[in-house]
Formats: sequence, structure tokens, C-alpha cells
Amino acid sequence: MSEILSSEVVIVGGGVIGAATAYFLCKEGAEVMVIEADDLASGASGACDGFVSLQTKMPGVHLAMALESARLFPSLAEDLEVNIEYNPCGGLMLATSQEQMKELRARAKALKSGGLEVEMLSPAELKEYLPEVGKGIKGGSFCPQDAQVNPISLTLGLAQKAQEMGATILRGCQVENIVVTNNRVREVHTTAGNIHSRRVVCAAGIGSNQIGKMIIVDVPVLPQRGQILVTEQRDPILKCLVSGAEYLGTKANIPELLPTDEEAAKLGLGFTAEQTASGNVLLGSTREFVGFDSNTTPEAMNAIARNAMRFLPWVEDLDVIRSFAGLRPCSPDGLPILGTVKGVKGFYLATGHSGDGVCLAPITGKLLSELVLDGETSLDIEPFSLYRFK
Amino acid sequence: MKERKERKESKEREEGKATGEGGRGAARDALQGGRDDPWTAAWEVSRRKAVAVVDCRQEIPCDPCETACRKGAIRVGDDVCALPISEPETCDGCGRCVALCPGMAIYLIDRSADGGKAAVTVPYEMGEEPRAGMEARVVDGEGKELGRGKILEVRAMGGAAATLLVKVEVPETWALKVRGVRLRQMFIEEPEEVEGYRGTGDCLICRCEEIARAEVEKAAGSGFRSLAALRRASRVGLGYCQGRFCREPLREELARKCGRGVEELGIGSPRPPLRPVKISRLGGGDVRDTQF
Repeated sequence: MSEILSSEVVIVGGGVIGAATAYFLCKEGAEVMVIEADDLASGASGACDGFVSLQTKMPGVHLAMALESARLFPSLAEDLEVNIEYNPCGGLMLATSQEQMKELRARAKALKSGGLEVEMLSPAELKEYLPEVGKGIKGGSFCPQDAQVNPISLTLGLAQKAQEMGATILRGCQVENIVVTNNRVREVHTTAGNIHSRRVVCAAGIGSNQIGKMIIVDVPVLPQRGQILVTEQRDPILKCLVSGAEYLGTKANIPELLPTDEEAAKLGLGFTAEQTASGNVLLGSTREFVGFDSNTTPEAMNAIARNAMRFLPWVEDLDVIRSFAGLRPCSPDGLPILGTVKGVKGFYLATGHSGDGVCLAPITGKLLSELVLDGETSLDIEPFSLYRFK
Repeated sequence: MKERKERKESKEREEGKATGEGGRGAARDALQGGRDDPWTAAWEVSRRKAVAVVDCRQEIPCDPCETACRKGAIRVGDDVCALPISEPETCDGCGRCVALCPGMAIYLIDRSADGGKAAVTVPYEMGEEPRAGMEARVVDGEGKELGRGKILEVRAMGGAAATLLVKVEVPETWALKVRGVRLRQMFIEEPEEVEGYRGTGDCLICRCEEIARAEVEKAAGSGFRSLAALRRASRVGLGYCQGRFCREPLREELARKCGRGVEELGIGSPRPPLRPVKISRLGGGDVRDTQF
């Protein structure tokens, strides 16, 4: 390489987190280079549903962060040139037993004290939101602040806007090594050449562990597979996001809400449904640890379809045209890993968002830009530190 | 499943007949093979009146023939990809299906005149206008010339973008082989090989998602490296057909724009189901019964 590359900040990863970080850094006038091994949104950001779900967050810092993130979406929708299909439609979580209702009610209380609007609904009251629900549905909780977004458009839109503001995006470029001297990041060696940079943000999703190894830090992120079915396009039939309480159970590991069926528990099955702007209904989903295998499986597709009919019987008439699976960067407690690394100045982590990457991308980008440029953040990110696991 | 198998068998018979020696003889063979064969039935009925013969082999989402028929003599059924089934007895030989079939795969045959002659009506969408009384070259499904035939009648059907229906008189033995007519003048200079069709900017590459060539070109030019990335960005190939129709032109387009080989690009990552399948079927019963 004859050309010497350099940048103030290098972001490893062109997913929604990397793109959001690049966007907010560029807004502050930083010089940014995004390195993506494959293509923009080629990982989890391009293989997920568009839930911006607040009622599935843990009351406390997690919820506070999600609320901040939700506030950023409307302005993003306006600022980005790509239509991100942002739709503040609200979200419904359905319970299939009285025990689940009890748990949801307790959670609703906690979420309300955290500043979220949540309303408990009886089966009769559900009619206002859904044409028909399964016989086993005992009620649910509705959060009007939940919203949906097109995750791919969001990623591409953020990246495109960042590029417009001066960011360089290298696609098909792999990081080979990160050079640290005198306890500071100095260079990033890539397949496209060596890049001089004193600041590196690791937003590599499921690749974060590998990036961490380059500076001898163990980033505990494991790929967790989520499978989703895509149906044919229909006129609007779903007014809001719909999920089952088991979805929350498998996500946040709440024993009361875990699926009782053995096979469902093995797949980490939880019901989700949303209708995208183009009219396709996305039905999910699973949470499985199967390494880096992003294929869909007949067992899971069968289970998702069966589970969907349990909650919304009328979906039986929809044609499934495709399935896909994404590998979510899963941290041990399901919360993101944000912040600096001890002993290596200029290295920042923004990964491990598990299933919340899309929802938390705007606030993650904003916090990271504050952290990289000012050294301090408007929201305390200490609870998301890498060192909470020790 | 059983029905599909039967249909496949009858399809094989049809193919054997369409390319086999001597339409009438082959039809007689088929008659011995099974009475419910729609071609055999049509062949018999054509002794009395004009009747539609469906030679459709493309299992694609296409059903204009079903709605074209006012008598309800052609059925595609719930699976829009299924091959149409015709009922020759119900058919009144109006020719609407002939005009409306986008694949030009339906014809009328009429052997009622007798005397070893048959009148075959085929769709015609070429530039030159055929007229009754002219002599036309009659071609088979491969475009090979069978011989000459006299044009008995020319009529237009199908509304604003009408298709011409040309009725041509041919020896009875050709009746099941005729797939089109060419006028004499066009015979003079014909290229040996036809170059691939390259559409204009507003030609739809992805029919399901209605994405035009110009849009794809724009997206392909903005630095995407794989078919999957192009798909994510433009939704091209994400429709009902799962990209079965547009994958090849897309690969070519992307290869051209990013200067790589078509082979290098791969075919993306196809995911089940191969064909649209209802949730009730996908989620029903034992997982081993679930077919993709």
C-alpha cells in the first residue's frame, strides 16, 4: 500500500451501531473511517425485525437508555435522507396465562415508575388493537411509546448521511491487527492497508470477541441466532407491534415468563409480529446458541408458525415467502457493553446489544461520540462497563 | 400431492405429443393411455367445435387464463403457480384465453370442417399485419417451419392492448404442433442467433416488488458488493417469487457495475421456503411433514 491512510476515529463494524456512531461523530465534526468486513448491515442489523420496544427493557438504566434512544428516532427520521419507515405505532405484549398476567402487571408498575407509559388490557380491551386473538390469551400490556423502524434503511441512512458529512466507509475490508504502543491505540492494520488512528471504536457485533483479542481483552459476546418468517405483502392488518410474554421471558431470562413447552424452551421461542411498511408480516422468533450458523431450520420455522397461530389465529391464511436468521451479539446479561478498556487508551466498546441493537443504536451512537470526543457522557454508562462481569 | 403427480404425468404426455411425430397419431396413443387427459379430450371435442388447448409448462405465479374464460372452463386453483387445467366440453372457443395468456401458450383447434384439414387459431404479436386470405408460414414450438397454411380469419381481442388472433388452415396432422404463424416477408433476413434482451430503464427487473432497471442500476452503482447487500438496499428480489425471475439479470447488472465476475457474486443466500407456503401448513402437524 503506497497510500497512507489515517483517520481521527476508526469504527470497526458497519452495522447499525457502527453507522449510528459514525453519524453522531460526524455531526460533531470528527474525521471518521468505518471499516466493514462484508457490507453495510450484512450482519445482525440486516437480519432482524424493526422493534423499537421499550416495554421489554429492564427497569432502571436499561430503560432510561432506551427512553433516550426512542426520543432520538423522530429527529433521525427527519434528518436522514433515506426513509427509515419510523412508525410510532405502540406495542402490545400478550399473556397466555394468569401467572404471566401477574408478572406483566408487576413489571408494568416498575416500568411506570421508570417513566414509561404502560397500560394493562383485559382480553375484551385487546379488541381495540387486534381484530382477533387466540382463545388462550388472558390479556396483555400496551405501551404507546413502542415504535417500529426499518433496521436496514436505518443503517444505510445513517451511513449515507455520515458519508455525506465526510466519513469514509471501507467495505470488504477486514481488520488484521490493532497496534497498541505505550498503552494507546496507534494503528489499525487492515486488508486495505494500515490506518493511523489514535481512537478505535469496536462496533463489530458478533465479531467483537475477535477484535478484542487483538488488544488482549476478552469481550464476552456470543452469537445468538434469531429466526424470523416473512409473509407475503398484505394491506395493513396489524396496527401495532405484537409480542408474547414468552418473548420477554427468553429475552430477559425471567423464569415466570419462560415457555413451558420443552421444545419451545430449547429454541428460546417467543412470539413477535410486526407488519412492515411494505406490507410483509414478520413473525418471530427464536434465541439459540449454535455458533456462527445463520441458516434457518425446519424445526424452528414449524415452531414459529405454530406459535404464531396460537396468538393470532388468522395468520394461518398468510403465505410465508421467506425465512431468515440473524446472529445477535449476546452478552452474558443481555445488556450492551459500552465504554473504555483498562490499559488501552483510545479503544472503545459499543457491542453486545443482544436483541436491542436497533432500539438502542441512536443513543449508543450519541453516547459513544460524547465518550470519544469529550471523555464523559450525558448518561452514566458505568453499569454497561465491560468490567461488570468480573 | 397425488393430483400434482397426475398432472405431471399428463404434462409429460403432452410434451411427447407436442414434439412427437404426427399430431393425430400421438393423440390416439394418448387416448389409450388415459381418458382423463385434457389434450385427448380437447382433441376429441375439436371434431365438433373450436376448443382451447392449453400448452402451459411454466409453474409460475400466473393466472390470467382463469379469469379470461367467461365459461369457467380453465382453472388454475388456489396455488397460483399451478398449471392450468381446461375442460374442453365447457369451452365455447371464444379465444379470449388465447389473447390474454401472456405466455402465448393457449391455442384453439377446430377439426369440424373435416376433409383432413384443421383450423388452428394462434396469438400473433408481430409488427406486420396478417390478413385473411394470405399465406403464412406455420411454425412449431421451436420456431421451426412446419409448412404453409392459409389464413382464414384475423381478429383482435383483449381490450386496449389487443392481441391479434390468426386462424390458419393446416393439415389435420399438424393441428397439435402449430404454435405460431410468420408472414412470408419476414423470412428474408433473420439473424442466426438472437442476442439477449436488454430492457430499457423503466423495464421492471423485479416484478414482485415493482423495481425498475434504472433503480437497480443506481443501487448497484453505489458500492454494494454482493447480491444480498443489493437486495437489502433496494428490496429487489425480495418479493413473492423469491427472486427466481430476477436473480440472473440482477447478478449480471451487479457484476457489470462492480467489475467482478458473475460467478464470484454467488447466488446470495436463498432461504426456505422455496415456494410460498401457508402458515397453517408450515405450522401444522409433525415437522417432518413440513415441505419446503
